[in-house]
Amino acid sequence: MTTTAIERETTPMTSTPAMTRPLPSPFARIWNVVRLHLVDRRTYIGIPWIIVAFAFLISIVLSNIIGFVTGDGLGGAEATANQRYSWAVLAPQWYLIVVAVQSIGLTFPFALGFSVTRRDFYLGTSLMFVLISAFNAVAFAVLTQIEKVTDGWWMGTYMFNALWFGVDGWYVDLLSFFVLQLLVFFIGASVTTIYMRWRIVGMLVFAITVAVVVLGTLSLITFTSSWPAVATWFGQQGIAGIFLWLLVPTVLAAVGGYVTLRRATPKN
Amino acid sequence: MTTTTLAPAVSVEGLTKRYGKFTAVDNVSFHVESNKIYGLLGRNGAGKTTIMQLLTGQQFATSGEISVFGDYPAENARVLQQICFIKEAQKYPDTFKVKHVLASAPWFFENWDADFADRLVDDFRLPMKRDVKKVSRGQLSAIGVIVGLASRAPLTFFDEPYLGLDAVARQTFYDRLLEDFAEHPRTVILSTHLIDEVSNLLEHVLVIDEGRIIIDQDAEELRGSASTVVGKATDVDAFVAGRDVLHREGIGGLASVTVSGLSAAERRTAADAGLELAPVSLQQLIVRKTSGSGAAAQSDWSESA
Repeated sequence: MTTTAIERETTPMTSTPAMTRPLPSPFARIWNVVRLHLVDRRTYIGIPWIIVAFAFLISIVLSNIIGFVTGDGLGGAEATANQRYSWAVLAPQWYLIVVAVQSIGLTFPFALGFSVTRRDFYLGTSLMFVLISAFNAVAFAVLTQIEKVTDGWWMGTYMFNALWFGVDGWYVDLLSFFVLQLLVFFIGASVTTIYMRWRIVGMLVFAITVAVVVLGTLSLITFTSSWPAVATWFGQQGIAGIFLWLLVPTVLAAVGGYVTLRRATPKN
Repeated sequence: MTTTTLAPAVSVEGLTKRYGKFTAVDNVSFHVESNKIYGLLGRNGAGKTTIMQLLTGQQFATSGEISVFGDYPAENARVLQQICFIKEAQKYPDTFKVKHVLASAPWFFENWDADFADRLVDDFRLPMKRDVKKVSRGQLSAIGVIVGLASRAPLTFFDEPYLGLDAVARQTFYDRLLEDFAEHPRTVILSTHLIDEVSNLLEHVLVIDEGRIIIDQDAEELRGSASTVVGKATDVDAFVAGRDVLHREGIGGLASVTVSGLSAAERRTAADAGLELAPVSLQQLIVRKTSGSGAAAQSDWSESA
């Protein structure tokens, strides 16, 4: 009797009070972070699609203006050719990179206040990025196909079937949009983890490092007269190949963000 | 020895946190017993917020040991799921409305009571549909208070949660905290400047000054640990001679001196000598004990009070 009492008193650090309810499973915790990001549906779904709708409207108006000026009317050769170089299809990306920055800059400190671990927060955020990227890739691939089938929405105006989209098969559109979206998210998020961990000093070191690496690469290619070789290499990869290669920086950014955030601390 | 005590909710040994050359928390050791309301008191910059951030895994310790529910809290889901940390400077996602905060909170706090949260929203007249960015300072504090209370986390931290709350709202907070604490006992650590306002709430007091714990005492004992002796200056001086004098004031021939630790016999002696004994408020006591830098310290406390 006395021994047990003494034991209990001498080992207070290891005993814990009983929980009233069982704790959620690891996946449930990660899924809760996904839900936290999406509790305000405007952020990742509403506003990007409003931007797409506006970009579409602007594209129609512009193609009408060009068609009128050239006298070709809508779907004229010149209007259609110019639309292939329109960046309207990428319009939401500028907004989404800001959203990715805020996911770490604001939602991370908020989630810590809800007692989420850094690990669960980052895995949940990454899962959400993958889900939104997959959804956007499917949506844009489908819109590109519809645009092709309907000859530009029955009025010869093109927005989705632009840049490299709609050039190869639909699965290339699917792949390239998925990778691009994921890259945008993870670049925005991972660069912000550097700020969260090392503040402005870290950002300076990072910016200088990036500048040195880019300038070094450009110098190396130029001074070894390798630009034709580089152009040939890119040409050989094709659209699908280039976006498969872009998975490398995407994964690097994703993993780097995880490692950096594990020891990051929100500001006081 | 006589009672079977619960394991302490928090145990800290030799805890130190440095930011570069600045030592925010300096070799601190203390325990927090389960199911009690603690006051973590101290002046601005004393290290209160840093201690709370260390206990909730938001900051990493430079050295020393932290045990919360038996484990190191940082990145420990089992421990953190039992903690709710409400801080004055909490950040919110940019586009969040008040309703988004209260809609997501139940996913993270197992004991969340939605009815209680609804009642608190009414109590504090919180506009659910307004952007968090646009609510007043007091309403922002109310969001924190509501999450902190309705989450019913086994270990709840309130770091100066009242900023911008008016006197009525603050009283509502104290009342709801006490009512709910009675029905659902849990460990609460409250950091505040308004010591006298929360004086009745606190069961135990930790006072931190320049990163060190200088008082770790039961609130009742602490209150009884000092008294103010008032009377004719000559009588008072004779009585307090050789005692630990915390503070003295005097007008003309009258003196009012705060001394620590008077026994019952000594109180009788004082009364026989025609001296009046007045209790010292917790706030006064702590001001006296932390005002190393004299008048500056005192004015700092009274400004924020």
